[in-house]
Amino acid sequence: MTEIHTHRAGDDHAADNDVVALLMRQHGDIRNLFDEVEQSTGDRRKDAFRRLVRLLAVHETAEEEVVHPFARRSLPGGEQVVEDRLAEERAAKEALSALDDMDIDDPKFLPRLLALREDVQAHARAEERYEFTHIRRSTDAAKLALMAKGVKAAEAMAPTRPHPGVESAAANVALGPVAALMDRTKDAVRKAMGHDG
Amino acid sequence: MTFNPLEQRGIPLDRQLRNWRELNVEPIDPDHCDPYTRCRIITMNGIEVEAIMFSHQLARNTADPEIKRQLARTRYIEAQQQKAVNWLLPGVSSVLETTIAYEQVAVDLTAWIARMEPDPYLQQAYQFGVLEDFDHLYRYANLYEMIEHRKAESIVDGLTEVMPGRPTKFHHRNPVDNVRDPYDRTRTDPLSKLHALTVLSAEQQTMNFYMNTGPTYMEPIARQLYQEIGLIEEEHVTHYESLVDPGETWWEQLVNHEYNECYLYYSFMEQESDPKVKAIWDLHLNMELEHLHIACDLMRRHDGREPQEVLAPRLPNVLTFEPNKAYVRELLDTQMDLTTLGAGYVRDAHERFEQMQEQIHGGEQPPSERVMTQHDQMFGREYRLETEGEHPDPAMRENT
Repeated sequence: MTEIHTHRAGDDHAADNDVVALLMRQHGDIRNLFDEVEQSTGDRRKDAFRRLVRLLAVHETAEEEVVHPFARRSLPGGEQVVEDRLAEERAAKEALSALDDMDIDDPKFLPRLLALREDVQAHARAEERYEFTHIRRSTDAAKLALMAKGVKAAEAMAPTRPHPGVESAAANVALGPVAALMDRTKDAVRKAMGHDG
Repeated sequence: MTFNPLEQRGIPLDRQLRNWRELNVEPIDPDHCDPYTRCRIITMNGIEVEAIMFSHQLARNTADPEIKRQLARTRYIEAQQQKAVNWLLPGVSSVLETTIAYEQVAVDLTAWIARMEPDPYLQQAYQFGVLEDFDHLYRYANLYEMIEHRKAESIVDGLTEVMPGRPTKFHHRNPVDNVRDPYDRTRTDPLSKLHALTVLSAEQQTMNFYMNTGPTYMEPIARQLYQEIGLIEEEHVTHYESLVDPGETWWEQLVNHEYNECYLYYSFMEQESDPKVKAIWDLHLNMELEHLHIACDLMRRHDGREPQEVLAPRLPNVLTFEPNKAYVRELLDTQMDLTTLGAGYVRDAHERFEQMQEQIHGGEQPPSERVMTQHDQMFGREYRLETEGEHPDPAMRENT
């Protein structure tokens, strides 16, 4: 009876003053949630999948709001690197919303989830190697910390703890559909970073 | 066992060259693979790297251009084998992930060899070493959770436990105490020669891996931990290479290398769960049989001896990747406080050891201790994977 508990980047006591370290831990959290979805069944799988959808949604939104604009402006060749990442993110979002509309008991669910997982993992490593490394190299501590604040604000929008028994419609209504979550995440990030929406 | 590499013919050397399409192997899936498939890949990469570097050293010590050309032909194929094998590792894995798999290899390969080793002095050398690899696994696992928020069990999958071994800070010995006594090539069991070569190759590859990938990390604690453990790999290579009888001729060593490659590809082919990877072990075995024949001819020609005189009369039991939890726990219970003195082992910290410790630590905590402190600050606990109960050594239990 191993209890599956996926923690999230903000759960530890790290100072979270470095956006790159924070996002790398979040990449691990996403990977952990994929494990959790794959390894569970029934309501637990449904619940884990809800959390995965939300974490992916806010993570990608935060990257789009915080990291990519910076990379585009500040890195040599940043425009193309960001274009590549954005294309991957668009494809992932489409796959995600297709999965989101699907019943987890549908026989096509798991193969599609695995395909999405592969793409998400490749996308995450590409960010770490081609984007994050350069960000650390060309940014000062204050900027890294400010960007971390934006990502933390986004993360607060996606509860990743299990909600035993409440993964049902009630919880979904409370959190709203994915698109609305992304919009709210955008607002939260902009506010945290001192821009107006 | 009916398989005798000396009696089998493989693929003729001039038909072994692969084109780009054939070299373009499909990597394993890091999230769903059998952890021991990854261990076999890492092991065979180390074996092929040793084959290549040994052949280069032999060529540099060979005057006859015709022999140099012959060595170059086989070596080029071995370089292709190394590419096919190591490229089975996926690009989406991080260095740290692969590092944890390297340490799983070190634990389960060395433990299995220690269990099977007939010579008690050699067995002690493996038992001594495995407790250090075991502790490296634990330190890297804690670093992994800090940087990637992933638990090492997602890599080792409960087949290998993760908890303290002999503490890494005590692995830094005076270099002279890392030199062991060699086996006697005329009296030792041929299996012992294969064991020594296998562990030596694996540790050497680990040393090469850490010395080259360590500085790719940006996190200070990661850079420092790779530096510290990288230096211990230097000690381990010294430890294991000194077990090999230096009286073996170059040609005898070449035959041992090729025979060992046949033995390991055969072993891994027998137990491989991934059909695509199994096909590679099968293909490479058939290539190695021919390399062995070429090496045997060279030995007959240059040493005037029959290879059968130095090889096992038949292939030993297959080398197996399997859990060694009970065995490692027994060693944790009995050999934690060992260190080396000269070519032997003692329980007390002797003067030369103390002096080295004082100098290298410079009055500070080494990276292997600081990684635990930093992990604790971040999570308020350690990362461990104790599937068979608490640590056998009461002093090593968490929160004691």
